[in-house]
Parts: sequence; C-alpha cells; structure tokens
Amino acid sequence: MAGVREQDQYMPIANVIRIMRRILPAHAKISDDAKETIQECVSEYISFITAEANERCQREQRKTVTAEDVLWAMEKLGFDNYAHPLSLYLHRYRKTEGEPASARRASASASPSMQMHPRTHPHSHPPNYSHHGFGMFDFDPSSQGFYRDDASSSGSGGFVASFDPYANIKRDPL
Amino acid sequence: MRQAGAYSGLLCGGVSGRTGPHSLPLARIKKIMKNSGEGVKMISGEAPIIFSKACDLFIEELTRRSWIMAIQGKRRTLHKEDLASAVIATDIFDFLITLVSNSDSHAVGGATNVMEVETIDYS
Repeated sequence: MAGVREQDQYMPIANVIRIMRRILPAHAKISDDAKETIQECVSEYISFITAEANERCQREQRKTVTAEDVLWAMEKLGFDNYAHPLSLYLHRYRKTEGEPASARRASASASPSMQMHPRTHPHSHPPNYSHHGFGMFDFDPSSQGFYRDDASSSGSGGFVASFDPYANIKRDPL
Repeated sequence: MRQAGAYSGLLCGGVSGRTGPHSLPLARIKKIMKNSGEGVKMISGEAPIIFSKACDLFIEELTRRSWIMAIQGKRRTLHKEDLASAVIATDIFDFLITLVSNSDSHAVGGATNVMEVETIDYS
C-alpha cells in the first residue's frame, strides 16, 4: 500500500498534521489511517475545485486557470465561507507582490517578500494623548488670551509653570 | 466566529520556513491541479497560492468536524472512521464520500448521529 501511494500526489503529511494540530486539543492523537485519509481528502479537494474552475475556463475559451476561477469554483461548489477570506488574502497578496506576473511567480516560489506583513501593522497614538490634544486645541484661543492677561498683570513665570494647559500647548508642536 | 478565525489566520500570514509564508508547498499543489483532468492546460501563478490558504481552511474544518465525531465516541484518537462520519454529515464534503467509503471498505459501518452534528453552526 505504501508503495502504491505516490507521495507527489499528496500534500506532505508533516504540513497537514501541523495544520490539524492548530485545531485539535493538546491531548488529541491522530491515527496513521486518519493521516493518510486526510492527505487523500486534500488532494481530492484540490482536484474537485480545479476541475470546476477549468470547466469555466473552457466555456469562456481561456487556457489559463486563474485565482479568480478558483474562487468562483469554490463559491459554486458550496465553499462560500472560504471564498471571502481568500479574496482578502489574494488582494493583500497582490498589493504585497506588485503587478508583474513574472515577478509574482518568482516571489511565490521564493516567498521572502511575503514576510513584509509586520510592516502593515498601524501604530496609533495613545488615546489619552489624542483626546487631551483635541480638548487642548479647542481651548487654545481663550487660553492664549487668558495667558496674555496674566502676563500683563504680574508673576507670569510662576503662573505658567503651574498651568497645565499651557504646558500641553508647548508639547503639541513637538 | 468561523470568519473571524479565518481572518486572524490571514493576519498571521501562514507558517514560515521552507515553504515561506505558505504552509503547503506550491509546486505540489500545482502538480495536483495539473493531474485533476486532461483539460487543465495552464495555471496562473496565483492559483496555487489561493489553494495553499484554501487547503488550510479545508483541513481545519474537516479536522474540527472529525474531532467532534471522536469525542462523541469518547475517544481521544482521531481515526479514519471519524473522518468518514464527518464527511457523511457535511453537505459540502459530499465529493469525498466515495474516497472515504473506499478507505472504510473493510470497516463495519456504525450508526452516526447525523441530527446532532447538523445542528452545530459553524458559519
């Protein structure tokens, strides 16, 4: 039986088991027959979707099966839940890899640039700071007027040190 | 919940290593696609990439449903019978019935509580 199975017709068992482990609890075990069966299921899944995608290509007299054909076939065959996250995946992939098809394929095989994902993480300012800044901005004119009045009267240095809004105004340009 | 899980998987970007961010080898996927029928001529470079992620989702869903079968049988080991039961109980896996049935040709078919499984919502 082992000899009959062509390994290049199946996904590598180590990769498949790693994915299964993400779902299963730590104490779960997987029998050898289950490992073989799920390998076969994955290959069957790829063939099933690809055949449907290819039929569409032939109807439209195209020779190349595209990612869109694959997504279309998944929706048609009931895997609607997969098609949406995969569309997002494809869009982000294209943004990351850029336009040229040849570069796309080269990157796909080498795959180093896909590791750029951490760059896309946005860094937002602390909410306290932004909120306070907003309030500060609202009070800016009256605050300056008030400060000028104080300055003209007396003791501006000491008063400024104790007046928080003015300190924040100083920080804002930085 | 299912969608969120899939989306967070996308953010992780897959497992790094020899296959890069794709957890399944693209060349192997392409070969299987080529062998899916005589009519398949050319395959875009993006199609195996989509399949790499699609197979993640497929394996996760099939594993989850199979594990439900195993725990219903009060077992902690996933067997091929659990996979067969999950396939029989899930409409979108109908295309696998022949495959898992052949695998189970020597096994005695046990009764499956399909009703109970079908009430579980994974959407």
